[in-house]
Formats: sequence, structure tokens, C-alpha cells
Amino acid sequence: MTSEQLVASQAAITHGRRGRRRITFGLDRFSGLYLWAAFIVVFGVWKPDLFLTSVTLRTVTSQYAVTAMLAIAVLLPLVAGGYDLSVGASANLAAIIAIVFQTNHHLGMWVSMGLALLAATGVGVINGFLVVRLHVSPLIATLGMATVVSAVQSIASSDSQPFPPSSPSWGLLSQRTFGGVQVVFFYLVGLAFVVWWVLEWTPAGRYLRAVGGNPEAARLAGVATGRWTWLAFVGSGFIAGVAGVMYGSQSGPSLTFGQALLLPAFAAVFLGSTQLTPGRANVWGTLLAVYVLATGVKGLQLVTGVQWLNDMFNGVALLAAVSFAVWRQGRTLRSRRRRTWLSRRPANEDVGAAP
Amino acid sequence: MEGDHRKVVPPPSLVARNLSKTFGSASPALDGVSFDVQAGEVHGLVGQNGSGKSTLIKILSGYHRPDRGGEVVVAGKRVETGIPAAARAAGCRFVHQDLALVESLSVADNLALTDGYPSIFGTIRLSRSRADARRELERFGLDINPQALVATLSPALKTGVALARALLGARLSRVNLLVLDEPTATLPDAEVHQLVDMVRRVAADGIGVLFVTHRLDEVAELSDVVTVLRDGRKIATKAINVVDKLSLVRMMTGNELADVATTAPAGPALTPRRCLSVSNLTTSELRGVNVDVRAGEIVGVAGLVGSGRETLLQAIFGAVDRDRGNVTVDGVSVAAHRPGQALAAGVAYLPADRLSKAGLMTLTARENLTIGDLRPFWRWPVMRRGVERREVREWFDELQIRPRDGAELSLTALSGGNQQKVMLARLLRRRPRVLLLDEPTQGVDVVAKAGIHRQLLSAAEAGAAVLVSSSDLDELVAIAHRVLVLRRGLVAAEFRGHEVTAGRLSLESLGAAGTEPS
Repeated sequence: MTSEQLVASQAAITHGRRGRRRITFGLDRFSGLYLWAAFIVVFGVWKPDLFLTSVTLRTVTSQYAVTAMLAIAVLLPLVAGGYDLSVGASANLAAIIAIVFQTNHHLGMWVSMGLALLAATGVGVINGFLVVRLHVSPLIATLGMATVVSAVQSIASSDSQPFPPSSPSWGLLSQRTFGGVQVVFFYLVGLAFVVWWVLEWTPAGRYLRAVGGNPEAARLAGVATGRWTWLAFVGSGFIAGVAGVMYGSQSGPSLTFGQALLLPAFAAVFLGSTQLTPGRANVWGTLLAVYVLATGVKGLQLVTGVQWLNDMFNGVALLAAVSFAVWRQGRTLRSRRRRTWLSRRPANEDVGAAP
Repeated sequence: MEGDHRKVVPPPSLVARNLSKTFGSASPALDGVSFDVQAGEVHGLVGQNGSGKSTLIKILSGYHRPDRGGEVVVAGKRVETGIPAAARAAGCRFVHQDLALVESLSVADNLALTDGYPSIFGTIRLSRSRADARRELERFGLDINPQALVATLSPALKTGVALARALLGARLSRVNLLVLDEPTATLPDAEVHQLVDMVRRVAADGIGVLFVTHRLDEVAELSDVVTVLRDGRKIATKAINVVDKLSLVRMMTGNELADVATTAPAGPALTPRRCLSVSNLTTSELRGVNVDVRAGEIVGVAGLVGSGRETLLQAIFGAVDRDRGNVTVDGVSVAAHRPGQALAAGVAYLPADRLSKAGLMTLTARENLTIGDLRPFWRWPVMRRGVERREVREWFDELQIRPRDGAELSLTALSGGNQQKVMLARLLRRRPRVLLLDEPTQGVDVVAKAGIHRQLLSAAEAGAAVLVSSSDLDELVAIAHRVLVLRRGLVAAEFRGHEVTAGRLSLESLGAAGTEPS
């Protein structure tokens, strides 16, 4: 019995993640990096004068920083097993509040920002309350909250696009450049670093993953599942608020950008979960996904310039990557099941198949 | 078995001849069993766990193909074995213990899912559907509102709906044999007689009923004839009026009453200190249970499905709600529904269902092992993975978890026995004062099982109070200093030391030791 198990376990090791990495050069874990390199080579050869420039580097890093922040906001509750569909609306609300309080109510920039972050964090608190205390499914709770938040945003903006704040420091908040790259990108890296630290290097991250893996088992193992789920939503709201303020500073007031960024953010997280540590939504995989897609879109824009490209490219990339990941996962599961089935009851199958 | 036979005597509903089933090279799960079920007869099938009842049922339902030479004849026609559709076409219907009803739908909908909705131009004719449902239910004397949600029905009525659903096709094709697989295991006493009435009506229609149970009272009340299985073999088929409960039990257990506990562990160093104290614990399945476990003592809990054994430890730990009752650990009271509080008081709980209640299948073995308490590894600003890995390696060595370097593998990559050891290590590393273990060695091979037992004994020696609930009586005999037998939500008996034998536990579980339930 034990020797048989040893064999099975050995098989599991050689067929497991480690073995595959050794044999296939991490084609699955690092497929994003390979794809990224491929994009750079292809577009670099195709349009070297337009693509291989520091302008491209600067626009891509800055333009997609807010999307990446929003993706991190999606990531946090997703690790704990909850979808947060309200991050787009929260970000938008934060942007509008930060701007309206400056232009219409003549408050200082920092105070307005504080109020904006407070509002977005509040959305997270209510999400957590709905999910943890009232046991509403996260999908429905956050969808409902997203709608409510949109309404609140209309109230705050009196349903009209506010003027951008006149103070130049508002724009510089995100657009000041270091080495040609807007500071918002560095904020993103800092934020990613903090969330990575929380998820990978603190007990909190472990608890969140446990809740996401199996809430009941986590609860019985002593994890305060309610508290961690709630905190994940609060953190998500806060990060969405940061993303919103940054968008407002970078691109000016907009009443609709949040909804437009929601799906790309989700796509990045799902795509990212097939990278680096496959099967686990993770911070660096998410950032990788955002910027690989951004590079592809940027390159294609330089080549053709048609409008529908962005959506088509993002959508197809998401579907392809996740389908591939699910297929691969299913294949290993199936083969494992077949293995244990065969090793447990070898003769049974024969009898069953006999005429 | 009198009964007004019509002019033509119908063929037996079921003739089973020489049914055997061997899995692998093990001794056969079923060994040459033959018996008949007459039309209109309620035929009881009794036997302990592992006696071959479920294998037999699975052969009848076409799930298993019997070994060569076995034959199943239903209402005079030979049925091709190993094909579920053939069994159904021959008029065999099955109601399993989990009734497979859709709780969130209405009664009428549940019936219609099998039978199809009456419709006109693709639109469901609701009133027809309800009227049909009401008529079907009335055949069993069930007055249930077809619009009621199944979730709102009592257990007995649910069984009734499942019964009605199983027999729905009766209008289209003749139903010859109805098999009820432990339908009463989870029914409260008061509701059992309702079911008895329904089953009687079915039999009165000329359908042969095969009724599988371990409750001997019901066999006596319900069946005309009873067949006893033991270790895969048929021991006897007897008319119910010529056997009594005690002789049935003797047939089922092979008169194990005489056997001696061979491996009874030495009694604990008797400390008077009660570590875990449970009083008057009451839930939907428990009716006031009192348990005391001293430090250093291993107490076993035995009982059949539905006896309350499955919920006892969950209720103590607070994984499920309690209606009444107190749980204290070293004098500190532990509230219901607060696993965190129980853990803080030094109680550790191993759920029976590893897949859905214990294992974090998306995490690694290391993460599973340490999830209960990460504080030792946390030094601002990071978790010390080196310290964690070292501790996990120690536990892998201590419990001989294989593969030895499997800590970073996903939990799913480990075999069942090794997964279970990881779960056990998760509890033991908290150095609990009270260990609550539900089926600690379920689905675990012999060697791993011995290893787990060794750990439990040494945990007890180190001063933990251990409460083990198990359906494996030999396990309780092997490790428990004392065993409580639960029956119908109450502690029916208690054995200690050398009194603990599988035979006694089995007798008491079945409620047939010649004593009435207290």
C-alpha cells in the first residue's frame, strides 16, 4: 500500500508544477513574458520608427497605470473568493468627489482627496457588510452597490461634468515625470508592492487565500473568515478610490470612465492568474497581464489605427488565455483522477468491461 | 404473508440468483447471494456496514455488473445486468437515502422533473401539473400542497415525495420492484410510521418492495420477510413472524458477543480532572447528550447513521447550531457557532468530510498544515518562511507524511491518507487540550491508519482529552478507553476498557441488546 502511494506521489511530483517547469522552460507560467517579447520583436520590426521609441514606453506605462490599479482593487477580494463589481463605480465616484470639492466647493486638494478616498472606502465597508453580515452573494451585493454608487455620483456632480480644478498641482499629482515616466506609474509599483507584501508575506494574505479556497474549511480551522472577507472589500474600495483620484488628476473629470475600466481590470486579474503562479490570482501576474495587453494594443494601434481594436484584442486575449488555463487544469485533474481510480480498483474496471 | 391472490399468481417481483461481486483481489463484497421478493411483499434487507447491502443494491440498479453466473429476474423477465437503463425498463425503481429532491422547487415541480410537465404549445399547464401531483401524492395517502417548497416539508413527507416520484412512471410502464435504501435512517421516530403507511400502500398495488435498513424495529413493523446479510453472504431469509430482534442481531453480527477486546489500550493515568464537559447538548438530531472527557482519556462515540453521532462533535465544537446545552473546557464555557472561541479555549476539531470541510485544496500542504496558527512565523515585516518550512518538515517526519519533500505540493497531489495526516498535524501543532475527531481514518489505508492511531494515543498521553466519533467499530475498540453508543440522539450505552468489543457496540447501535432505549 505504502509503496504504491510512494509511486503515486512521485508521479505527482514529476507531473506536478516543478517537473513541468524544468522540462518546458515555464512556457505556461511565463507565457506572458514570452508573448510580451514576441510583441516587442514583431512590432519593433514592423514599425521600428514608431514603436521602438521612448514615447511608446512613456505613454504605455502612464496610460495603463490606472487600469492596473483598478485590477489590483479587483484582485484583493478575488483572492478571498469574492467578485467586486463596484470598483469601477467607486473609482469614478472618487474622481468626481475629488474634483467637485475642489472646483465647486473650493476645498483644498488634499482635503478633497481625503474625502474621495473616504467615500470609496465607505463603499467597500458597505460591500463587506452586505456580504459578511447579510450573506448577500458578492456578485449581487457589489453589482447593486455599483448602481447605487453611480446614482450617488450623479448627485455629487449634479449630473453634469464638472470643470477640472484650476490648481496645477492637481495635474502634477499624477503627471509629474521622472525619467520621462509619469509618477502615477511609480505609485502603481508602490501599491503593487504593498499588496504583494500583504498577500505573500503576511498572515493576512494566507488567511485571504484560505477563505478563497474553502470558506467552511477555513472557518473550522480557526480563520476569522468574516473579518478577512470584510477587510478585503474595504481594501478594494480604498484602492479603487486611489485609482479614481489618479484618473481624475491624469485625464480630468469624466462621468463614465469607471465602467469602461471595470472589464479590462477583471480581464487582467484573470489573465494574471494564469501567470507566474498558475491558478492563483497574484499581483505581479496581474501587472504583467495589463502591460502585455497594453503593448499589444499599442503596437496594433500604430499599425492600423481602427477603433474596435482595443476591445477585440483584450476580449480575445482573455478568452484564449483563460480557456487554455482551464483546459490544462482540467487535463491534469482528469489524468490524476484516472490514475487514482486505476491504482485503487484495478480489477473492477476489467470486470465491468467483461461481457 | 396472506393476501388475496388474484386468479393468476403473478411471478415474483425479483428473483436474484447467485449474485457475487469481487472488487480487485480482495475477498468478495458479495458472495453468491440468492433470494426472492414476491409481488406485493415488503422484504427487509438487513446487515451491518460492509455486509454487502449496498453492493447488492448497486447490482440491482445496474450500477455494478455481478461476477459471472449471477442472474437478476424481474417479474419473470431476465434483466441484463450492469445497465441502469435496463433495470429501469424492467420496472425497478430506487429511492436512496439522500432523496435527490430539488429542495428549492415545489413538490409539483419535483415530480414534473421526472415525468415531464403537461404543456400546451410549449407552455406549462400549471393547474394540470398541480392536479397531477396532488393525485400522485394521494395514492400514498399524502395530503401535501403541490405548491409547497420541498425544503419546507418534514423528512417523512420528503421521503413520500421521493417515493411518489419513483413510482410516477407506473402509468406508462409497470413498476415491479421498489427498492428503498435506508429511507428511515434520518427520520425522527414519530415520522417513521407515516412512511410505513406509504410503503404498505405501494405493496398493496402488487409491487414488490425491498427495504434496506439497519433499524430492526422497522423491519419488524414493516416487512413480511427479512433477509440477513453478513460479510457478503446471505445468512438467512425468514418470515418476520418467526424471528425476534435478538436472533436477527445474532445473525447480523455472527454472535460476536463472545469476542474479547484484543487490543484494549491501557487505561489512562486516572486524573480526576474533567477536561471537556458537555451537558444536555440538544440539536435537531441530539436530544440532550452528556459527555465528560478527562485529560489523557480517549473516548469513542459509536452510532448508526441518523443516531446523532455525525453531529455530536460538530455541535460541541460549535460548527453547527445548538438548541440547548453547555460545553465547557477546563471550566471555561464555549459558545455555539464560534469556532474561533472553541479554538482559543484549546479545542481542535477534525471534520469528517475532508474535501468540503477541512482541506484547502487550492493551497499547498505546508499552507494547509500551518493555517490554524501563523503567529509563530510572523516577525515584522514578513512571515519567516524558513521557520515555517522547518516546522512543517518536522511534522512531515513526525507523522511520516509522504512524499517527505511534499510540503510545497498542492494538497491535492497527496494521497488521501497523507492529506488526512496533514489535517491531523494542523490540529496537533496547536497543542490542543481537547481533540475532537470525526472519522479520523476514513478513506485511509491501513498503515496510515495505524500511524494516525499512534498519534492520537500519544496526544492523549501528553494530556489531551480526545473524543473520537467513528463508524469503524474496530477503530474504537483499538484506541478508545471508553465508548459511548448513541442511538436516536441519546447516549444509549457506555462501555469501558475490556467491555469495549465491536459486537457489543454493534448490538447497542442497532438498539437490540435486549434493553429498551433509555
